[in-house]
Amino acid sequence: MARYQITEADLPYAREFLAAPIGYHSPCLQRVLNRMRGPDWTFKYVLIVVERYSRWQLGRLPAARGGRVEAVAGVYYDNLLDAERDIFKRRWRDLTGQDLDHQLSTLS
Amino acid sequence: MLPIVAYTDKLTVAPGEALTVMASSFGARTYHADLRRIIQGDTNPEGPGYKDEAIALDLGGERHAVAKAFKPGSAVIIPGHEALKGLGSFTLAAVIQPTLTTGKERLVIALPGFASLGIDAGGHLVGRLGQAEVRSAAPLTVWQWQIVSLAYDAASRELVLSSLAAPGTAAPAARPRIVTAQAVQAGPAAEECIIAATRDTEGELTGFFDGKIDRPAIFLQPIAVERLVTILADVQALRRRSDLLAAWDFSERMMTQSIRDVGPFRLDGKTRNAPKRAMTGWLWQGQELDWKKRPELYSAIHFHSTDLHDAGWSADFTLTVPDDLKSGVYAVRLVPDGDEDAAYYCVFVVRPPRDRASANTVAFLFPTCSYLAYGNHRLGLDVPGTEIGMGRAVELDRHHMFLQAHPEIGFSHYEVHNDGTGVFHTSRLRPLVDLQPKVKSYLGGYGSNIWQFNADTHILGWLDHIGQDFDVITDEDIHADGLRLLSRYNVILTGTHPEYYTRNMIEAVQAFTDRGGRLMYLGGNGFYWVVSFNEDMPGLMECRRSEAGVRPWEPGHGQFFHGFTGEYGGLWRRNGHPPNHLCGVGMTSQGFDISEPYVINPDSRTARTAFIFDGIDGTVIGDYGLAGGGAAGLEVDRADAGQGTPDHAVVLGSSVRHTDIYLMVPEDLLDPTPDWTGTQAEIIRSDLTFFETAGGGAVFSTGSIAWAGAVAWNRYDNDIARMTENVLRRFNDPQPFEMP
Repeated sequence: MARYQITEADLPYAREFLAAPIGYHSPCLQRVLNRMRGPDWTFKYVLIVVERYSRWQLGRLPAARGGRVEAVAGVYYDNLLDAERDIFKRRWRDLTGQDLDHQLSTLS
Repeated sequence: MLPIVAYTDKLTVAPGEALTVMASSFGARTYHADLRRIIQGDTNPEGPGYKDEAIALDLGGERHAVAKAFKPGSAVIIPGHEALKGLGSFTLAAVIQPTLTTGKERLVIALPGFASLGIDAGGHLVGRLGQAEVRSAAPLTVWQWQIVSLAYDAASRELVLSSLAAPGTAAPAARPRIVTAQAVQAGPAAEECIIAATRDTEGELTGFFDGKIDRPAIFLQPIAVERLVTILADVQALRRRSDLLAAWDFSERMMTQSIRDVGPFRLDGKTRNAPKRAMTGWLWQGQELDWKKRPELYSAIHFHSTDLHDAGWSADFTLTVPDDLKSGVYAVRLVPDGDEDAAYYCVFVVRPPRDRASANTVAFLFPTCSYLAYGNHRLGLDVPGTEIGMGRAVELDRHHMFLQAHPEIGFSHYEVHNDGTGVFHTSRLRPLVDLQPKVKSYLGGYGSNIWQFNADTHILGWLDHIGQDFDVITDEDIHADGLRLLSRYNVILTGTHPEYYTRNMIEAVQAFTDRGGRLMYLGGNGFYWVVSFNEDMPGLMECRRSEAGVRPWEPGHGQFFHGFTGEYGGLWRRNGHPPNHLCGVGMTSQGFDISEPYVINPDSRTARTAFIFDGIDGTVIGDYGLAGGGAAGLEVDRADAGQGTPDHAVVLGSSVRHTDIYLMVPEDLLDPTPDWTGTQAEIIRSDLTFFETAGGGAVFSTGSIAWAGAVAWNRYDNDIARMTENVLRRFNDPQPFEMP
């Protein structure tokens, strides 16, 4: 069980991530990402390569070695940054129960 | 997924020699094979473009694709002997430390068809004789040494199953647990004895044990488990007992597959699928840490149901390498059912002739040890935190999906077995599905995201692009041939991540530079881990990750010395060969998101280094690339006099920041504080380094895995490629370098 819990106080860092998903992050955003990308298997999203460098399908990785990777029906991406943003939003919902887009629109 | 996969019997072959291909269908009905020379394997549209070359060699027409299975699981097989037949009263005994006990049945000792001692799917000890069965009331304890036995008295027909915690363990129950039943011998005589497995009705091995077994034995009379404690502890007394049928002392011939029976019938055997040997036994309590000094304390074998040495598939076909085929990286391409997009590439090297030098003075050192260490690695599948180190989501390419569906293909040095203990052994005698062009990876950085072999093709493609003739030699070649082979060349170029080295290899490369050779270390985190080969088990490699280093597991207390050679495992820097001494830099940090440029050290622009900077005037180089967008990244090395960097080494340039994904390596993180990250600590950097050697040689080190991805940027037209070519041209000039 991770000690750090994501809350509304992390919304500025969510905005930071959506602006630049890959690369330098503030320490507070990094902490959010560590929570999302850490050892919790319940929201272990992966990108199944459909066409290398051009198309990916969202997948969910099972905890059990040899288990089936669940391809999420109908969820495809044409670039990796969009995929990162979508996965971030899904994990935000998984961890907080809230819709990130709605929270950010309310915040602004 | 992959409809067909395959492997070859060798990764390196000389002209005129034979190469055998073993293939299996995983959906393909037919296939045809051809031979390709691999030139550049990255298919990133921002890269220079995939390139291979068809070789005109008839490999036969369409073939039927036959399905063949992976058969993992280690055991000891004792061939049948008259002495095993006609058993009346007996005791099967062993000291065991099970590490997995549930989910399936596991055998300790089996006399198939006659009697067995094992653990049922619920973790209970179970003994069988003919149709009779005895089972413990409580499950066995995992990770604890315990003496187990199945004794039968033919006169009273009493079958007794017993377990007893071994002395010295913190066992909750020090009293033996005993279950008895009446039994009649009704089964056939045993044709063989199997330790750590048994056979199913088809004759296939099954019921593989997970955990350690020590001193298994068979006696010709029933013996109480309390007496077995002392009987099994004293091998010298044990071997003289008149009631002994066989007792296998695993501390003998530990560097081989041979298993020695110390009893008078000499029921010797052999291991299957390379379980871990030279492992602490039930009597080890820290008395000695080196198995060579007290072998009797290393009397256990750790078996895994997931061990795999040789897939053992039947051969599909054998080709003979044409005498005039030039040295290079090749692949037997298997195209299933006419679908070229689904082709499987069986990569291997055609080395130069064994008996004479080629005309080439430049060689690419194809890092087969590092490919083996990473072979079929599952970091993005098994280790959830991999994504943190990547700083981005895990991509699963087709071969990753195959690995997830077929973990029985065997593991790399980056995995743990199902019981959580490290994988010491990795084999090339099975398909290595990530040793292919085109495939993506987990760790290759934002951009091409390719790793090891496919990333190394950026260097092969560049050599092709500049028209440089070169040979390709492999780690296994220089392990076997040493300086005899290296001394044919002026220049040796490494791959992007030559991390794993045997002693033969590192001594050969060191001797090469000491005696005038020129080394271009075009990677990061090189020359890091000690690995070893085993003459009794070709194709298998061992690594024990002792004490420090970035590592996914530790070997376990008292198990830091390799079983194959007796060498102390771990980092070369702890074994007298720090990478800094060989190439000026050594591993300092890693992160797999983005890479950075080098800031040129203005003081490094001298007459000594003018050839390196020819045509390069900028103060910053390599702010581009296919591996994270920079030339310095993924795994990075620093110059450090304290670790052996020569005094006269010149740091030509350095990366000056990295993301906070980059952390200090554990061997240097003596006192963890939160400032050892890429945005804060200057020690986290890549140092581009050059120095001359006393023998007229020289070394150029990039200290970065991402370097080659920058070489390939803009179709090899950039400052990093130019600098690399500047160095190659001068290094290939036999004019000796002079020490400053």
